[in-house]
Amino acid sequence: MFLSRGAATGGIILVGAGASAGLAGCSSGSSGSSTSTGANKGGKAGVSTGTPKRGGKAVIGTTADIDGFFPPTNHWDNNGFLYANTIYDPLTAVAADGSIKPYLAETITPNSTYTTWTLKLRSGITFHDGSALTAAVVKANFDALKASALTGIALKQVTSVTITDPLTVVYNFADPFVSLPASLATQVGYVVGQAMLDAVSKSPTTPPHPVGTGPFIYDTWQPNDHFTATRNPHYWRSGYPYLDSITYRPIPDTTQREATLKTGGVDLILSADPVTVNHFTGQSPYQVVDSLSDITGEPDVAFILLNCASPPTNDLRVRQALAKATDQAQVIKLFGGGLSQPSNGLFPKGSKYYSNTGYPTFDPTGAKTLVSAYKQQHGTPTIELVTVPDSRDIKVTQVLQQMWEAVGFTISVKTIEQAELISNIVTGNFQAYTLEQYAVPDPDINYVWWSTTTVAPPGQISLNFSRNSDPQIETALLSGRRSPDPATRIKAYQTVNERLAQDLPYIWLGQTVWSAVGDARIQNFANPILPDGSPGQPFDNGIFFPTQIWMAG
Amino acid sequence: MLSYLLKRLAQLVVVAFIISVLVFLLVHLLPGDPTVSILGGNVTAANRQILLHELGLNTPLYHQYWIWLIHALHGNLGQSYLTHETVGHVIATGFPIDVELIIISQVVAFAVAIPVALITSRRPNRPLDNIATTGTFGLLALPPFLIAPILVAIFAVGLHWFPATGYVPFSQNPASNLHDMILPGLALTAGSIAVYYRLLRSDLIMTLQEDFITMARSKGLSNRRIMMRQAFRPSTFSLLAVAGVNIGALLAGTFIVEYLFAMDGLGYSIVQAVQQRDYLLVQGIALVVAIAYVVLQFIIDFLFTVVDPRVTRE
Repeated sequence: MFLSRGAATGGIILVGAGASAGLAGCSSGSSGSSTSTGANKGGKAGVSTGTPKRGGKAVIGTTADIDGFFPPTNHWDNNGFLYANTIYDPLTAVAADGSIKPYLAETITPNSTYTTWTLKLRSGITFHDGSALTAAVVKANFDALKASALTGIALKQVTSVTITDPLTVVYNFADPFVSLPASLATQVGYVVGQAMLDAVSKSPTTPPHPVGTGPFIYDTWQPNDHFTATRNPHYWRSGYPYLDSITYRPIPDTTQREATLKTGGVDLILSADPVTVNHFTGQSPYQVVDSLSDITGEPDVAFILLNCASPPTNDLRVRQALAKATDQAQVIKLFGGGLSQPSNGLFPKGSKYYSNTGYPTFDPTGAKTLVSAYKQQHGTPTIELVTVPDSRDIKVTQVLQQMWEAVGFTISVKTIEQAELISNIVTGNFQAYTLEQYAVPDPDINYVWWSTTTVAPPGQISLNFSRNSDPQIETALLSGRRSPDPATRIKAYQTVNERLAQDLPYIWLGQTVWSAVGDARIQNFANPILPDGSPGQPFDNGIFFPTQIWMAG
Repeated sequence: MLSYLLKRLAQLVVVAFIISVLVFLLVHLLPGDPTVSILGGNVTAANRQILLHELGLNTPLYHQYWIWLIHALHGNLGQSYLTHETVGHVIATGFPIDVELIIISQVVAFAVAIPVALITSRRPNRPLDNIATTGTFGLLALPPFLIAPILVAIFAVGLHWFPATGYVPFSQNPASNLHDMILPGLALTAGSIAVYYRLLRSDLIMTLQEDFITMARSKGLSNRRIMMRQAFRPSTFSLLAVAGVNIGALLAGTFIVEYLFAMDGLGYSIVQAVQQRDYLLVQGIALVVAIAYVVLQFIIDFLFTVVDPRVTRE
């Protein structure tokens, strides 16, 4: 399966970004549209204008299960964030316009140099065990996250956290850090109760009982079978939630998941397979919401990761030839349901970061010329293209093999398991791998994947998987990290995107298409309202808030 | 009798030990380790070493195996590196699912194969026999991953007779449990029907040519009585032997069906565990499956003596 989040936690979750070794992707991050492109004719799917009805139970069919509920140590994919939104609350959340709004926080404000952020919590919020949400608990959460091998890297820039009063936490940085609010909308921003932290501290190998502040209270979790949570009667957001309970059922096979929806076994399903959109669009009584209109932050994109430090992909001509030989539109037509548009980089059209990056267009003749030039010096370029054992991913690699061999490459296709694939990626033992990544609410959260400071030679672990060491990218990343000026930040990430189009560590294969399909009964699943009354991000690559869902009939 | 039981018990211990060593070595030979599954792309050199130490995976293999063996002998098979669910709990949850799938599929397989074989073996190469033979070859060619979606499309999505996915434990609701298990069970049945029918039919045809059958006919016994009382029993040896192997293969071998019907059986658990390099889970499940297989063969051997008292334990 599309490695991505759905299948196996092959990614870097930290900030909701997840690297998936497949082409189906899932990472929590930016995005979210409440209407699929062309999916609903009239009316808005997932958005209900009727009077909410209290009571009832919703059953959601997800793509996979998670490995646990503890943010510092469990690897959350899209399903993990869905579960998290059920029993926890984040400190901040993404609004429909892409801005970051306080959630558990009442305010979050920087100093003039952005080296200090002061976060003031809302008062009167209690965890499910009755304990109060305080600055001390938030700090304790931070300490656990910082100490964790999984999440510590996401908080590396934070030099210290202090408490100035029972509800105020101060984050300190050595250098200006503009994107803290966005980071707190991801895994490192979900707050668990002190009792849960203490339980883990006392017995790290015993799964702790999840304690959060969220709209639902943890009830039962049978891994790979179901997760159920019941209504929190003391939820701090008055009037919410509407449901008595919510159950998530992981159903790995897409076809079976769709069949379960059709037979009434679940009320709503999630899918990372574009065909689901085509299967249900226009089919009464289903409501289809997809992620294609996602223009906030960065969406999940599928691509081929190239190793810029090992031959032959360390030669720019080879990478250019691969890009020119790839008919992205054809790949999208064959395997993407024909839904998305070819990508020229990290950001789709309509995104404020979008620009004409100069990414090579489909040009087989140009590709052949480049391959010939390389051949004269080094012989025929031979590349091993690797993916995970997922039928769709395998077919994509086979099509790419045909495209690339048509211009003169010798391509072998291989499948390996995700664990081995990720291991090879981080150690640089690869030439071309399928991957899916980068969905985040703010591009700065993806800093580690492109920074020159995280490059290591093959054989050593490198978070900059492609080993593309571009000082201009580093300069731009730091500019985006440190400058609060929107225009400067936009320019910075456009520069990153344009440099990636020049350096070509990635061969883009289009935006990932996530969808949520609900039956007639489930209402309002793509219409979250944030605590300040503004609309929240409707649908974030398979993630939504269950807070405002209600059942009709 | 006691010596026989002790001998089989010793055999069980030897098999379990050999399986545990082999599985341990094989799974550790796979590229990658649990740190990648746990940390994903966040795996830095330092983080990996810390985690390897925490998981006890930075010691020599023989030491790791020894620690695992000591704990296993005390009934502690460890826990998942990722979910921290105990191996015992995973097995306790998944084993009943597999057993139920096996029971349903084998009961249906025998219920179809035996009567059809009894009928067609009396008149081999006649139209009914040819139809049955062709039909069973067709069933043999249909793998579970093909049959399952077809069954779901027809009986779940089309007719709404059964759910498309899901599992309710028998202890929670027996009626729902049986209702949920019918399609998954049937998906596993096709191949078994074909094999059992072909075997029994062949053995019955040969048995019906024996002198004692001729004798029975000359005594004026009815065909029905001859088939059920005289021919059937001695014709079931091969069937029993193959059924034993088949059922053994189904133990944790039902991954495809479990995956398609979203059931958390041992097959799905062990495949996931291998993919995630969740070593303790792999070892624990493999050990239990090996023990179950040996016990199953013991039962089959016992059934041989029931079918034919001439077969002694010696």
